[in-house]
Amino acid sequence: MANLSVNLCGVNFKNPVIAASGTYGFGREFNELYDIGKIGGVSTKGMTLEPRLGNPVPRIAESRGVILNAVGLQNPGVEHFIENDLEWLKATGTVVIANVAGKTLDDYAGICARLDGLVDMIELNISCPNVKSGGMAFGIKPESVEQVTRAAKSALKVTPLIVKLSPNVESIAENARAAERGGADCISLINTLTGMAIDIERRKPIIANNTGGVSGAGVKPIAVRMVYEASQAVKIPVIGMGGITCAEDAIEFLMAGAAAVQVGTANFTDPYAMPKIIDGLNAWCDKHGIANVSELTGTLQLNQR
Amino acid sequence: MKDYVATIIKNEQIAENVYAVTFDLGEEAKVRCGQFGNISVGETHLLRRPIAICKAEGNEVTFCYQIKGEGTQKLKTMGAGTKLNVLMPLGNGFYVEEEEKKVALVGGGVGVFPLISVLRAYASTKEISAYIGYRNKAAVCGVEEFAKAQKFLLVTDDGSYGSQMNAVQAFEADLAKGNRPDVVLACGPTPMLRALKTLVERENLNCYVSLEERMGCGIGACLVCVCNMTDGKRARVCKDGPVFNSRDVSL
Repeated sequence: MANLSVNLCGVNFKNPVIAASGTYGFGREFNELYDIGKIGGVSTKGMTLEPRLGNPVPRIAESRGVILNAVGLQNPGVEHFIENDLEWLKATGTVVIANVAGKTLDDYAGICARLDGLVDMIELNISCPNVKSGGMAFGIKPESVEQVTRAAKSALKVTPLIVKLSPNVESIAENARAAERGGADCISLINTLTGMAIDIERRKPIIANNTGGVSGAGVKPIAVRMVYEASQAVKIPVIGMGGITCAEDAIEFLMAGAAAVQVGTANFTDPYAMPKIIDGLNAWCDKHGIANVSELTGTLQLNQR
Repeated sequence: MKDYVATIIKNEQIAENVYAVTFDLGEEAKVRCGQFGNISVGETHLLRRPIAICKAEGNEVTFCYQIKGEGTQKLKTMGAGTKLNVLMPLGNGFYVEEEEKKVALVGGGVGVFPLISVLRAYASTKEISAYIGYRNKAAVCGVEEFAKAQKFLLVTDDGSYGSQMNAVQAFEADLAKGNRPDVVLACGPTPMLRALKTLVERENLNCYVSLEERMGCGIGACLVCVCNMTDGKRARVCKDGPVFNSRDVSL
Protein backbone atom coordinates (compact mmCIF):
# COMPACT_ATOMS: atom_id res chain seq x y z
CA MET A 1 0.00 0.00 0.00
CA ALA A 2 1.55 3.25 -1.16
CA ASN A 3 0.74 6.47 0.64
CA LEU A 4 -1.59 8.20 -1.82
CA SER A 5 -2.29 11.26 0.31
CA VAL A 6 -1.29 14.68 -0.94
CA ASN A 7 -1.38 18.11 0.64
CA LEU A 8 -2.30 21.16 -1.41
CA CYS A 9 -2.26 24.58 0.22
CA GLY A 10 -2.62 23.00 3.67
CA VAL A 11 -5.59 20.86 2.63
CA ASN A 12 -5.09 17.15 3.06
CA PHE A 13 -6.44 14.85 0.32
CA LYS A 14 -6.75 11.07 0.88
CA ASN A 15 -5.53 10.65 -2.67
CA PRO A 16 -4.80 12.98 -5.59
CA VAL A 17 -7.92 12.07 -7.60
CA ILE A 18 -10.60 14.78 -7.66
CA ALA A 19 -13.91 14.83 -9.54
CA ALA A 20 -13.88 17.58 -12.16
CA SER A 21 -16.51 20.27 -12.01
CA GLY A 22 -19.64 19.73 -14.06
CA THR A 23 -19.36 15.98 -14.46
CA TYR A 24 -20.19 15.00 -10.92
CA GLY A 25 -22.95 17.35 -9.71
CA PHE A 26 -22.57 17.67 -5.95
CA GLY A 27 -21.66 14.00 -5.65
CA ARG A 28 -25.04 12.57 -4.64
CA GLU A 29 -25.66 10.49 -7.78
CA PHE A 30 -22.23 8.87 -7.81
CA ASN A 31 -22.59 8.16 -4.09
CA GLU A 32 -25.43 5.80 -5.06
CA LEU A 33 -22.79 3.76 -6.90
CA TYR A 34 -19.87 3.95 -4.45
CA ASP A 35 -18.83 5.76 -1.29
CA ILE A 36 -17.54 9.08 -2.63
CA GLY A 37 -15.67 9.56 0.63
CA LYS A 38 -13.04 7.32 -1.00
CA ILE A 39 -12.09 9.87 -3.64
CA GLY A 40 -9.67 12.69 -2.99
CA GLY A 41 -12.06 15.55 -3.58
CA VAL A 42 -15.10 16.83 -5.43
CA SER A 43 -15.09 20.04 -7.42
CA THR A 44 -18.77 20.93 -7.49
CA LYS A 45 -20.93 21.87 -10.43
CA GLY A 46 -20.02 25.48 -11.31
CA MET A 47 -22.07 27.82 -9.16
CA THR A 48 -23.14 31.43 -9.41
CA LEU A 49 -24.69 33.78 -6.86
CA GLU A 50 -28.12 33.45 -8.50
CA PRO A 51 -29.64 30.28 -9.99
CA ARG A 52 -29.09 29.85 -13.74
CA LEU A 53 -31.08 27.86 -16.31
CA GLY A 54 -28.15 27.23 -18.65
CA ASN A 55 -28.25 26.69 -22.39
CA PRO A 56 -30.95 25.08 -24.57
CA VAL A 57 -30.59 21.38 -25.52
CA PRO A 58 -28.91 19.50 -27.11
CA ARG A 59 -26.03 20.23 -24.79
CA ILE A 60 -23.73 17.35 -25.71
CA ALA A 61 -22.21 15.64 -28.73
CA GLU A 62 -19.56 13.03 -29.31
CA SER A 63 -16.68 13.07 -31.76
CA ARG A 64 -13.99 10.39 -31.99
CA GLY A 65 -12.08 10.28 -28.73
CA VAL A 66 -13.77 13.36 -27.32
CA ILE A 67 -17.08 14.84 -26.33
CA LEU A 68 -18.35 18.40 -26.62
CA ASN A 69 -20.63 19.99 -24.05
CA ALA A 70 -22.35 23.31 -23.58
CA VAL A 71 -24.43 23.07 -20.42
CA GLY A 72 -23.96 26.78 -19.78
CA LEU A 73 -23.57 26.86 -16.01
CA GLN A 74 -27.05 25.63 -15.12
CA ASN A 75 -27.01 25.63 -11.33
CA PRO A 76 -29.35 26.18 -8.40
CA GLY A 77 -27.35 29.11 -7.01
CA VAL A 78 -24.83 29.15 -4.18
CA GLU A 79 -27.43 29.55 -1.41
CA HIS A 80 -29.19 26.38 -2.53
CA PHE A 81 -25.85 24.56 -2.37
CA ILE A 82 -25.10 25.87 1.11
CA GLU A 83 -28.55 24.91 2.38
CA ASN A 84 -28.98 21.54 0.69
CA ASP A 85 -25.69 19.96 -0.30
CA LEU A 86 -22.76 21.39 1.61
CA GLU A 87 -23.13 19.59 4.93
CA TRP A 88 -23.98 16.32 3.21
CA LEU A 89 -20.94 16.56 0.93
CA LYS A 90 -18.61 17.44 3.82
CA ALA A 91 -19.93 14.48 5.82
CA THR A 92 -18.83 12.07 3.08
CA GLY A 93 -15.23 12.83 4.09
CA THR A 94 -14.09 13.98 0.66
CA VAL A 95 -12.43 17.37 0.14
CA VAL A 96 -15.08 19.90 -0.90
CA ILE A 97 -14.01 22.29 -3.64
CA ALA A 98 -16.64 24.87 -4.64
CA ASN A 99 -16.37 25.75 -8.31
CA VAL A 100 -17.64 29.31 -8.81
CA ALA A 101 -18.32 31.62 -11.73
CA GLY A 102 -19.72 35.09 -12.29
CA LYS A 103 -20.29 37.92 -14.73
CA THR A 104 -18.43 40.68 -12.94
CA LEU A 105 -15.51 41.11 -10.56
CA ASP A 106 -18.08 41.86 -7.84
CA ASP A 107 -19.84 38.54 -8.56
CA TYR A 108 -16.57 36.66 -8.11
CA ALA A 109 -15.72 38.53 -4.92
CA GLY A 110 -19.28 38.08 -3.61
CA ILE A 111 -19.49 34.34 -4.12
CA CYS A 112 -15.99 33.84 -2.68
CA ALA A 113 -16.89 35.87 0.41
CA ARG A 114 -20.06 33.80 0.85
CA LEU A 115 -18.17 30.49 0.70
CA ASP A 116 -15.08 31.55 2.65
CA GLY A 117 -14.57 29.19 5.56
CA LEU A 118 -17.47 26.96 4.51
CA VAL A 119 -15.65 24.80 1.97
CA ASP A 120 -12.16 23.31 1.83
CA MET A 121 -11.12 25.12 -1.35
CA ILE A 122 -12.63 27.40 -3.98
CA GLU A 123 -11.99 26.87 -7.66
CA LEU A 124 -12.45 29.97 -9.79
CA ASN A 125 -14.04 29.19 -13.13
CA ILE A 126 -12.76 31.93 -15.39
CA SER A 127 -12.74 29.71 -18.40
CA CYS A 128 -16.22 28.38 -19.13
CA PRO A 129 -16.36 28.55 -22.93
CA ASN A 130 -20.09 28.01 -23.13
CA VAL A 131 -21.65 31.17 -21.77
CA LYS A 132 -20.95 34.77 -22.67
CA SER A 133 -21.03 35.66 -19.00
CA GLY A 134 -19.30 32.57 -17.68
CA GLY A 135 -16.05 34.23 -16.92
CA MET A 136 -14.36 33.26 -20.19
CA ALA A 137 -13.77 36.95 -20.85
CA PHE A 138 -11.67 37.01 -17.67
CA GLY A 139 -9.82 33.86 -18.57
CA ILE A 140 -8.18 34.83 -21.85
CA LYS A 141 -5.81 37.72 -21.22
CA PRO A 142 -3.20 37.57 -18.46
CA GLU A 143 -4.16 41.07 -17.23
CA SER A 144 -7.78 40.04 -16.59
CA VAL A 145 -6.74 36.67 -15.12
CA GLU A 146 -4.69 38.56 -12.59
CA GLN A 147 -7.47 41.07 -11.95
CA VAL A 148 -10.22 38.51 -11.30
CA THR A 149 -7.88 36.38 -9.20
CA ARG A 150 -7.05 39.40 -7.05
CA ALA A 151 -10.74 40.29 -6.66
CA ALA A 152 -11.54 36.75 -5.52
CA LYS A 153 -8.51 36.43 -3.28
CA SER A 154 -9.22 39.72 -1.52
CA ALA A 155 -12.66 38.36 -0.54
CA LEU A 156 -11.14 35.26 1.06
CA LYS A 157 -9.76 35.14 4.58
CA VAL A 158 -9.23 31.42 5.11
CA THR A 159 -10.20 29.27 2.14
CA PRO A 160 -7.41 28.57 -0.37
CA LEU A 161 -8.09 29.69 -3.94
CA ILE A 162 -7.61 27.59 -7.07
CA VAL A 163 -7.79 29.37 -10.41
CA LYS A 164 -8.93 27.13 -13.27
CA LEU A 165 -7.22 28.13 -16.48
CA SER A 166 -8.57 28.05 -20.01
CA PRO A 167 -6.51 26.35 -22.73
CA ASN A 168 -8.01 28.70 -25.33
CA VAL A 169 -5.25 31.24 -24.79
CA GLU A 170 -2.06 32.54 -26.36
CA SER A 171 0.30 31.44 -23.60
CA ILE A 172 -0.69 29.10 -20.80
CA ALA A 173 2.54 29.93 -18.94
CA GLU A 174 1.74 33.67 -19.00
CA ASN A 175 -1.77 33.07 -17.68
CA ALA A 176 -0.48 30.71 -14.98
CA ARG A 177 1.97 33.41 -13.84
CA ALA A 178 -0.83 35.99 -13.93
CA ALA A 179 -2.96 33.86 -11.61
CA GLU A 180 -0.01 33.44 -9.26
CA ARG A 181 0.62 37.20 -9.25
CA GLY A 182 -3.06 37.79 -8.51
CA GLY A 183 -2.75 35.69 -5.36
CA ALA A 184 -3.90 32.24 -6.44
CA ASP A 185 -2.89 29.50 -4.01
CA CYS A 186 -3.13 26.85 -6.72
CA ILE A 187 -4.02 26.56 -10.41
CA SER A 188 -5.97 23.87 -12.20
CA LEU A 189 -5.96 23.13 -15.92
CA ILE A 190 -7.11 22.51 -18.53
CA ASN A 191 -10.72 23.57 -18.86
CA THR A 192 -12.31 22.45 -22.14
CA LEU A 193 -11.11 23.47 -25.60
CA THR A 194 -13.71 25.28 -27.67
CA GLY A 195 -14.95 23.11 -30.53
CA MET A 196 -17.79 22.41 -32.94
CA ALA A 197 -19.45 19.24 -34.28
CA ILE A 198 -21.78 19.39 -37.26
CA ASP A 199 -24.81 17.30 -38.19
CA ILE A 200 -24.17 17.18 -41.95
CA GLU A 201 -27.74 16.15 -42.82
CA ARG A 202 -29.14 19.26 -41.14
CA ARG A 203 -26.07 21.41 -41.93
CA LYS A 204 -26.22 22.65 -38.36
CA PRO A 205 -24.06 22.26 -35.27
CA ILE A 206 -25.28 19.37 -33.10
CA ILE A 207 -25.09 21.45 -29.94
CA ALA A 208 -27.76 24.16 -29.57
CA ASN A 209 -25.08 26.61 -28.44
CA ASN A 210 -23.24 25.92 -31.76
CA THR A 211 -19.87 25.53 -30.03
CA GLY A 212 -19.04 23.40 -27.02
CA GLY A 213 -16.17 22.57 -24.73
CA VAL A 214 -14.11 19.61 -25.96
CA SER A 215 -12.99 17.09 -23.35
CA GLY A 216 -12.18 13.42 -23.03
CA ALA A 217 -9.33 11.06 -23.87
CA GLY A 218 -8.43 12.85 -27.12
CA VAL A 219 -7.41 16.11 -25.43
CA LYS A 220 -4.94 14.47 -23.05
CA PRO A 221 -1.66 15.21 -24.90
CA ILE A 222 -2.60 18.88 -25.18
CA ALA A 223 -3.47 18.97 -21.49
CA VAL A 224 -0.27 17.21 -20.42
CA ARG A 225 1.82 19.69 -22.42
CA MET A 226 -0.02 22.65 -20.89
CA VAL A 227 0.26 21.26 -17.35
CA TYR A 228 4.00 20.87 -17.93
CA GLU A 229 4.35 24.44 -19.23
CA ALA A 230 2.22 25.94 -16.46
CA SER A 231 3.95 24.03 -13.68
CA GLN A 232 7.32 25.20 -15.00
CA ALA A 233 6.06 28.79 -14.86
CA VAL A 234 4.78 28.93 -11.27
CA LYS A 235 5.74 27.91 -7.74
CA ILE A 236 2.17 27.25 -6.53
CA PRO A 237 0.76 23.72 -6.86
CA VAL A 238 -0.92 22.63 -10.08
CA ILE A 239 -3.97 20.38 -10.47
CA GLY A 240 -3.90 18.65 -13.86
CA MET A 241 -6.82 17.46 -15.92
CA GLY A 242 -7.86 16.76 -19.47
CA GLY A 243 -8.78 13.30 -20.76
CA ILE A 244 -7.66 11.24 -17.76
CA THR A 245 -9.21 7.80 -18.12
CA CYS A 246 -6.93 5.47 -16.15
CA ALA A 247 -4.20 5.52 -13.50
CA GLU A 248 -1.44 5.65 -16.14
CA ASP A 249 -2.97 8.85 -17.54
CA ALA A 250 -3.04 10.36 -14.05
CA ILE A 251 0.63 9.46 -13.58
CA GLU A 252 1.54 11.33 -16.78
CA PHE A 253 -0.02 14.46 -15.33
CA LEU A 254 1.76 14.00 -12.00
CA MET A 255 5.10 13.57 -13.74
CA ALA A 256 4.38 16.63 -15.90
CA GLY A 257 4.11 18.66 -12.71
CA ALA A 258 0.65 18.20 -11.22
CA ALA A 259 0.27 17.64 -7.48
CA ALA A 260 -3.23 16.24 -7.99
CA VAL A 261 -5.54 15.46 -10.90
CA GLN A 262 -9.17 15.86 -11.82
CA VAL A 263 -11.28 13.34 -13.70
CA GLY A 264 -14.29 14.48 -15.71
CA THR A 265 -15.46 12.89 -18.94
CA ALA A 266 -14.27 9.42 -17.86
CA ASN A 267 -17.06 9.45 -15.25
CA PHE A 268 -19.55 9.28 -18.13
CA THR A 269 -17.79 6.43 -19.90
CA ASP A 270 -17.38 4.41 -16.71
CA PRO A 271 -19.14 5.64 -13.57
CA TYR A 272 -16.55 3.74 -11.53
CA ALA A 273 -13.61 5.44 -13.30
CA MET A 274 -12.41 7.32 -10.23
CA PRO A 275 -12.22 4.46 -7.72
CA LYS A 276 -10.50 2.41 -10.46
CA ILE A 277 -7.92 5.16 -11.04
CA ILE A 278 -7.22 5.34 -7.30
CA ASP A 279 -6.74 1.56 -7.11
CA GLY A 280 -4.56 1.70 -10.21
CA LEU A 281 -2.37 4.45 -8.76
CA ASN A 282 -1.79 2.37 -5.67
CA ALA A 283 -0.90 -0.71 -7.72
CA TRP A 284 1.47 1.26 -9.99
CA CYS A 285 3.24 2.85 -7.03
CA ASP A 286 3.64 -0.53 -5.31
CA LYS A 287 4.99 -2.10 -8.50
CA HIS A 288 7.50 0.74 -8.96
CA GLY A 289 8.57 0.97 -5.34
CA ILE A 290 7.04 4.41 -4.82
CA ALA A 291 6.20 4.90 -1.15
CA ASN A 292 4.43 8.26 -1.54
CA VAL A 293 2.51 9.22 -4.65
CA SER A 294 3.60 12.83 -4.11
CA GLU A 295 7.13 11.76 -5.06
CA LEU A 296 5.98 11.52 -8.68
CA THR A 297 5.11 15.19 -9.09
CA GLY A 298 7.33 16.98 -11.57
CA THR A 299 9.70 14.05 -12.11
CA LEU A 300 9.52 14.25 -15.90
CA GLN A 301 12.91 14.15 -17.57
CA LEU A 302 12.87 15.80 -20.98
CA ASN A 303 14.76 14.20 -23.84
CA GLN A 304 18.04 15.92 -24.60
CA ARG A 305 17.77 17.65 -27.96
CA MET B 1 -28.88 1.07 -10.31
CA LYS B 2 -25.88 -1.08 -11.05
CA ASP B 3 -23.24 -1.25 -13.77
CA TYR B 4 -23.78 -4.79 -15.05
CA VAL B 5 -21.25 -6.64 -17.15
CA ALA B 6 -23.93 -7.95 -19.47
CA THR B 7 -23.53 -10.70 -22.05
CA ILE B 8 -25.37 -10.43 -25.36
CA ILE B 9 -27.65 -13.43 -25.90
CA LYS B 10 -29.04 -12.23 -29.21
CA ASN B 11 -28.96 -9.05 -31.26
CA GLU B 12 -31.17 -9.02 -34.34
CA GLN B 13 -32.99 -6.76 -36.71
CA ILE B 14 -36.73 -6.46 -36.01
CA ALA B 15 -37.71 -3.73 -38.49
CA GLU B 16 -36.05 -1.40 -40.96
CA ASN B 17 -33.18 0.24 -39.05
CA VAL B 18 -34.40 -1.17 -35.73
CA TYR B 19 -32.67 -3.89 -33.70
CA ALA B 20 -33.44 -5.75 -30.49
CA VAL B 21 -30.58 -6.79 -28.21
CA THR B 22 -31.09 -9.18 -25.31
CA PHE B 23 -28.53 -9.38 -22.52
CA ASP B 24 -27.94 -11.85 -19.72
CA LEU B 25 -27.21 -9.71 -16.65
CA GLY B 26 -26.03 -12.67 -14.59
CA GLU B 27 -28.64 -11.84 -11.97
CA GLU B 28 -32.17 -10.53 -11.78
CA ALA B 29 -32.58 -6.76 -11.97
CA LYS B 30 -35.55 -4.98 -10.45
CA VAL B 31 -36.91 -2.93 -13.32
CA ARG B 32 -39.95 -0.66 -13.48
CA CYS B 33 -41.62 -0.26 -16.85
CA GLY B 34 -40.40 2.83 -18.70
CA GLN B 35 -36.93 2.82 -17.17
CA PHE B 36 -33.80 2.75 -19.32
CA GLY B 37 -30.24 1.53 -19.41
CA ASN B 38 -27.05 3.38 -20.37
CA ILE B 39 -25.16 0.99 -22.63
CA SER B 40 -21.43 1.19 -23.29
CA VAL B 41 -20.52 0.15 -26.82
CA GLY B 42 -16.87 -0.21 -25.84
CA GLU B 43 -13.91 2.08 -25.24
CA THR B 44 -14.06 3.57 -28.75
CA HIS B 45 -16.99 5.69 -27.61
CA LEU B 46 -16.82 7.94 -24.56
CA LEU B 47 -20.56 8.36 -24.12
CA ARG B 48 -22.89 5.49 -23.40
CA ARG B 49 -26.12 5.06 -25.30
CA PRO B 50 -29.27 5.58 -23.22
CA ILE B 51 -31.87 3.10 -24.47
CA ALA B 52 -35.32 2.22 -23.13
CA ILE B 53 -35.82 -1.17 -21.55
CA CYS B 54 -38.38 -3.05 -23.57
CA LYS B 55 -38.53 -6.29 -21.60
CA ALA B 56 -36.98 -7.58 -18.36
CA GLU B 57 -37.53 -11.18 -17.35
CA GLY B 58 -35.40 -13.02 -14.84
CA ASN B 59 -31.75 -12.40 -15.69
CA GLU B 60 -32.60 -11.23 -19.20
CA VAL B 61 -33.23 -7.73 -20.41
CA THR B 62 -34.11 -6.58 -23.93
CA PHE B 63 -33.51 -3.17 -25.45
CA CYS B 64 -34.79 -2.09 -28.86
CA TYR B 65 -32.82 0.57 -30.66
CA GLN B 66 -32.87 2.51 -33.86
CA ILE B 67 -29.65 2.86 -35.84
CA LYS B 68 -28.93 6.56 -35.44
CA GLY B 69 -25.20 7.17 -35.37
CA GLU B 70 -21.83 5.50 -34.87
CA GLY B 71 -22.65 4.05 -31.47
CA THR B 72 -25.77 2.19 -32.56
CA GLN B 73 -24.01 1.20 -35.82
CA LYS B 74 -21.36 -0.47 -33.69
CA LEU B 75 -23.87 -2.02 -31.31
CA LYS B 76 -25.74 -3.73 -34.15
CA THR B 77 -22.59 -5.57 -35.21
CA MET B 78 -22.10 -7.15 -31.79
CA GLY B 79 -22.97 -10.82 -31.59
CA ALA B 80 -23.92 -13.29 -28.90
CA GLY B 81 -21.29 -13.64 -26.20
CA THR B 82 -20.11 -10.01 -26.41
CA LYS B 83 -19.84 -8.44 -22.97
CA LEU B 84 -20.87 -4.81 -22.52
CA ASN B 85 -21.31 -2.58 -19.50
CA VAL B 86 -24.95 -1.68 -18.95
CA LEU B 87 -25.80 0.81 -16.20
CA MET B 88 -29.42 0.19 -15.23
CA PRO B 89 -32.19 0.59 -14.30
CA LEU B 90 -32.20 4.37 -14.67
CA GLY B 91 -34.93 6.99 -14.51
CA ASN B 92 -38.32 6.96 -12.85
CA GLY B 93 -40.44 4.88 -15.25
CA PHE B 94 -44.20 4.69 -15.70
CA TYR B 95 -46.52 4.07 -12.79
CA VAL B 96 -50.24 3.36 -13.02
CA GLU B 97 -52.29 4.16 -9.90
CA GLU B 98 -54.54 1.54 -8.35
CA GLU B 99 -57.73 3.44 -9.25
CA GLU B 100 -56.66 3.93 -12.86
CA LYS B 101 -58.26 0.94 -14.54
CA LYS B 102 -58.38 1.97 -18.19
CA VAL B 103 -54.98 2.75 -19.64
CA ALA B 104 -54.31 4.19 -23.09
CA LEU B 105 -50.84 3.71 -24.61
CA VAL B 106 -49.97 6.19 -27.35
CA GLY B 107 -46.67 5.45 -29.07
CA GLY B 108 -44.87 6.50 -32.21
CA GLY B 109 -41.70 5.23 -33.88
CA VAL B 110 -39.03 3.99 -31.46
CA GLY B 111 -41.22 5.41 -28.69
CA VAL B 112 -43.24 2.21 -28.83
CA PHE B 113 -40.60 0.17 -26.98
CA PRO B 114 -40.95 1.58 -23.46
CA LEU B 115 -44.69 1.10 -23.92
CA ILE B 116 -44.12 -2.63 -24.50
CA SER B 117 -42.65 -2.74 -20.99
CA VAL B 118 -45.80 -1.02 -19.69
CA LEU B 119 -48.00 -3.51 -21.46
CA ARG B 120 -46.07 -6.41 -19.96
CA ALA B 121 -46.27 -4.90 -16.48
CA TYR B 122 -49.99 -4.11 -16.49
CA ALA B 123 -51.64 -6.41 -19.07
CA SER B 124 -53.09 -8.67 -16.37
CA THR B 125 -54.44 -5.96 -14.06
CA LYS B 126 -55.52 -3.12 -16.35
CA GLU B 127 -57.71 -2.64 -19.40
CA ILE B 128 -55.21 -1.46 -21.99
CA SER B 129 -55.83 0.22 -25.34
CA ALA B 130 -52.76 0.71 -27.51
CA TYR B 131 -52.61 3.33 -30.27
CA ILE B 132 -49.37 2.71 -32.06
CA GLY B 133 -48.04 4.58 -35.06
CA TYR B 134 -45.17 3.85 -37.44
CA ARG B 135 -43.75 5.70 -40.41
CA ASN B 136 -44.54 2.86 -42.80
CA LYS B 137 -44.92 -0.91 -43.04
CA ALA B 138 -41.15 -1.50 -43.00
CA ALA B 139 -40.90 0.20 -39.59
CA VAL B 140 -43.59 -1.95 -37.97
CA CYS B 141 -42.40 -4.16 -35.08
CA GLY B 142 -43.59 -5.38 -31.71
CA VAL B 143 -47.01 -6.26 -33.08
CA GLU B 144 -47.15 -9.59 -31.22
CA GLU B 145 -46.59 -7.70 -27.94
CA PHE B 146 -49.26 -5.04 -28.54
CA ALA B 147 -51.69 -7.73 -29.66
CA LYS B 148 -51.88 -8.66 -25.94
CA ALA B 149 -53.72 -5.39 -25.24
CA GLN B 150 -57.52 -5.43 -25.01
CA LYS B 151 -57.56 -3.03 -27.94
CA PHE B 152 -54.77 -2.47 -30.44
CA LEU B 153 -54.91 0.12 -33.21
CA LEU B 154 -51.88 0.09 -35.49
CA VAL B 155 -51.55 2.98 -37.93
CA THR B 156 -48.90 4.24 -40.35
CA ASP B 157 -48.07 7.71 -41.67
CA ASP B 158 -48.35 6.51 -45.28
CA GLY B 159 -51.15 3.98 -44.84
CA SER B 160 -48.96 1.06 -45.95
CA TYR B 161 -50.08 -0.89 -42.84
CA GLY B 162 -53.30 -0.09 -40.97
CA SER B 163 -55.07 3.23 -41.40
CA GLN B 164 -53.20 6.26 -42.72
CA MET B 165 -52.88 8.50 -39.67
CA ASN B 166 -50.63 9.00 -36.68
CA ALA B 167 -51.00 7.50 -33.19
CA VAL B 168 -52.46 10.68 -31.69
CA GLN B 169 -55.10 10.87 -34.41
CA ALA B 170 -55.97 7.20 -33.80
CA PHE B 171 -56.34 7.90 -30.09
CA GLU B 172 -58.39 11.04 -30.75
CA ALA B 173 -60.75 9.17 -33.08
CA ASP B 174 -61.35 6.49 -30.44
CA LEU B 175 -61.84 9.15 -27.78
CA ALA B 176 -64.54 10.72 -29.97
CA LYS B 177 -66.34 7.35 -29.87
CA GLY B 178 -66.54 7.67 -26.09
CA ASN B 179 -63.59 5.41 -25.20
CA ARG B 180 -62.12 7.52 -22.43
CA PRO B 181 -59.14 6.17 -20.47
CA ASP B 182 -58.31 6.94 -16.83
CA VAL B 183 -54.70 7.63 -17.77
CA VAL B 184 -52.69 8.05 -20.97
CA LEU B 185 -49.06 6.87 -21.19
CA ALA B 186 -47.08 8.00 -24.20
CA CYS B 187 -43.70 7.97 -25.85
CA GLY B 188 -42.59 9.12 -29.27
CA PRO B 189 -41.17 12.01 -31.26
CA THR B 190 -41.59 15.48 -29.74
CA PRO B 191 -44.10 16.74 -32.37
CA MET B 192 -46.29 13.73 -31.57
CA LEU B 193 -46.08 14.35 -27.82
CA ARG B 194 -46.81 18.04 -28.38
CA ALA B 195 -50.00 17.17 -30.29
CA LEU B 196 -50.96 14.71 -27.57
CA LYS B 197 -50.36 17.28 -24.82
CA THR B 198 -52.74 19.69 -26.56
CA LEU B 199 -55.35 16.96 -26.94
CA VAL B 200 -55.22 15.66 -23.35
CA GLU B 201 -55.33 19.18 -21.95
CA ARG B 202 -58.41 19.93 -24.02
CA GLU B 203 -60.01 16.65 -22.93
CA ASN B 204 -58.83 17.04 -19.33
CA LEU B 205 -57.11 13.63 -19.29
CA ASN B 206 -54.26 12.63 -17.02
CA CYS B 207 -51.26 11.89 -19.21
CA TYR B 208 -47.64 10.87 -18.71
CA VAL B 209 -45.03 11.24 -21.44
CA SER B 210 -41.59 9.67 -21.67
CA LEU B 211 -39.01 12.06 -23.13
CA GLU B 212 -35.79 11.50 -25.03
CA GLU B 213 -32.69 13.72 -24.93
CA ARG B 214 -28.98 13.48 -25.61
CA MET B 215 -27.42 12.43 -22.30
CA GLY B 216 -24.07 12.63 -20.55
CA CYS B 217 -23.85 10.69 -17.30
CA GLY B 218 -27.38 9.22 -17.40
CA ILE B 219 -27.68 9.41 -13.60
CA GLY B 220 -28.51 13.05 -12.93
CA ALA B 221 -25.10 14.55 -12.22
CA CYS B 222 -24.13 16.47 -15.33
CA LEU B 223 -27.30 18.45 -16.24
CA VAL B 224 -26.86 17.74 -19.95
CA CYS B 225 -30.29 16.23 -20.72
CA VAL B 226 -32.70 18.80 -19.37
CA CYS B 227 -36.25 19.62 -20.42
CA ASN B 228 -38.26 22.77 -19.85
CA MET B 229 -40.93 22.63 -17.19
CA THR B 230 -44.11 24.69 -17.28
CA ASP B 231 -43.08 26.41 -14.02
CA GLY B 232 -40.04 27.87 -15.77
CA LYS B 233 -37.56 25.47 -14.19
CA ARG B 234 -35.55 22.78 -15.92
CA ALA B 235 -35.63 19.11 -15.00
CA ARG B 236 -33.20 16.29 -15.73
CA VAL B 237 -34.67 13.84 -18.24
CA CYS B 238 -32.43 11.01 -16.98
CA LYS B 239 -33.10 11.37 -13.25
CA ASP B 240 -36.31 13.38 -12.72
CA GLY B 241 -37.78 11.65 -15.81
CA PRO B 242 -37.78 10.31 -18.42
CA VAL B 243 -41.49 10.11 -17.52
CA PHE B 244 -43.24 13.38 -16.70
CA ASN B 245 -46.85 14.39 -16.27
CA SER B 246 -47.67 16.12 -19.56
CA ARG B 247 -49.00 19.11 -17.61
CA ASP B 248 -45.58 19.70 -16.04
CA VAL B 249 -43.42 19.82 -19.18
CA SER B 250 -43.41 22.29 -22.01
CA LEU B 251 -42.74 20.50 -25.27
